[in-house]
Amino acid sequence: MIAAKVVDWATLGKVVVAALVAGTVATIGFSCAILGAVRSSEMRRDGRTLEASGFVVVGLLGAAVCAALIVGGIIVMTSK
Amino acid sequence: MGGQGDIVFVIVIATALAFDFTNGFHDTANVVATSISTRAMSPKLAVGFAALLNFAGAFISLKVAATVASGIVKADAITMTIVFAGLIGAIIWNLITWYFGLPSSSSHALIGGMVGAVIAGPGAKDVIFDGLAGKVIVPALVAPVIAFVTAAIGILIVYRLVGRLRPGPVTNGFKLGQLMSGGLLALAHGTNDAQKTMGVMTLALIAHGDVSSANPHVPDWVVVSAASAIALGTYSGGWRIIKTMGSRIIKMDTAQGFSSQGAGAAVILAASHYGYPLSTTHVIASSVMGAGAAKRVSAVRWGVAGNIAVAWALTIPAAGIFGAVAYGITSLFGSGAAGPLVISIAMLIFTAVALARRLQRGSPITAEA
Repeated sequence: MIAAKVVDWATLGKVVVAALVAGTVATIGFSCAILGAVRSSEMRRDGRTLEASGFVVVGLLGAAVCAALIVGGIIVMTSK
Repeated sequence: MGGQGDIVFVIVIATALAFDFTNGFHDTANVVATSISTRAMSPKLAVGFAALLNFAGAFISLKVAATVASGIVKADAITMTIVFAGLIGAIIWNLITWYFGLPSSSSHALIGGMVGAVIAGPGAKDVIFDGLAGKVIVPALVAPVIAFVTAAIGILIVYRLVGRLRPGPVTNGFKLGQLMSGGLLALAHGTNDAQKTMGVMTLALIAHGDVSSANPHVPDWVVVSAASAIALGTYSGGWRIIKTMGSRIIKMDTAQGFSSQGAGAAVILAASHYGYPLSTTHVIASSVMGAGAAKRVSAVRWGVAGNIAVAWALTIPAAGIFGAVAYGITSLFGSGAAGPLVISIAMLIFTAVALARRLQRGSPITAEA
């Protein structure tokens, strides 16, 4: 009862979900950027241009996600 | 207000800037330790980068200045002496934890100092215990769990996606990633923590009659001086805590460094977005542990983690006791400038002795390391 009065559970729940989603998306995004960059250069070296292009797209998408998260982070800071 | 009041005002402003310096000095580790540990940046470059972004971060937003300890102690209980004593309590605790190389929350130290000074002054009736529990204690219990889990999930995803790639490019890629995640952390730290000092300085300006309490605004000189103090403290580098955060908790690779910083930034910014106060120190230290434990539970030095947890639990009561003692001693000299002057001189001696003892023993790592 006391905990329900003192703790803002609704906000806490939103923080947990947002942190987990943002943290997970950031690591997936950056890992995809690295995966795309490394694999595309390997594929290009092996002459597999189609697969190389596919990994370039994966890498660019990952980088775009990270850039969006950084911009989102700065917006959060400036709008506080 | 003039004479003695002016002297007390100047002492409070100087003490607030001294706290801001220790905040930057103490919390540098949160931002740079993983980057230094994984060699993503040289120590000197890392603290310079963090100092610059802390300085810039202080200018990003001013909306939370002048709300220090609001909802935790009653606003009409705050006097110049209580602000001064609270700052002294926080500075003493920051210096003690720096001496032992333990990362602890500067914000909690400031809140603890203020609460202690209020209890010693007008009394416990002016402390809002529900606010203290809801705004400080519960978040302090929650932050480590969220950060630990977020970093652990992050590192598992990273290993799954890039674990079979050639290590060279992956390492270099995550070093680049650490520049971004570390930069975001430094900006967030500057925005959050420099504003606490601006808030304290604004309270002093209101008490001195220079700023209206009905329409408080933060003067430019307050913003510039607070930004400069936290940046200077950051640039000075708290190497002992950097060593604890960067290598004594876990020996990390660049992927773990990125995951812990990325998770830390995500948790801090998510909490900022919803207005939920979390300690940067608690978040980063726990995300470092999460990134280590997800790889191998035994990779985390749990003894060191336990010492850090004890320091976290002690921060509010210990800073509170120091704040109460500072208030008690200041009050012995009456309401004039003598009390703050005596305490300030004692603090300078205490700081000089602590620095001298540490210099005799040598620093664990240096800017040249």
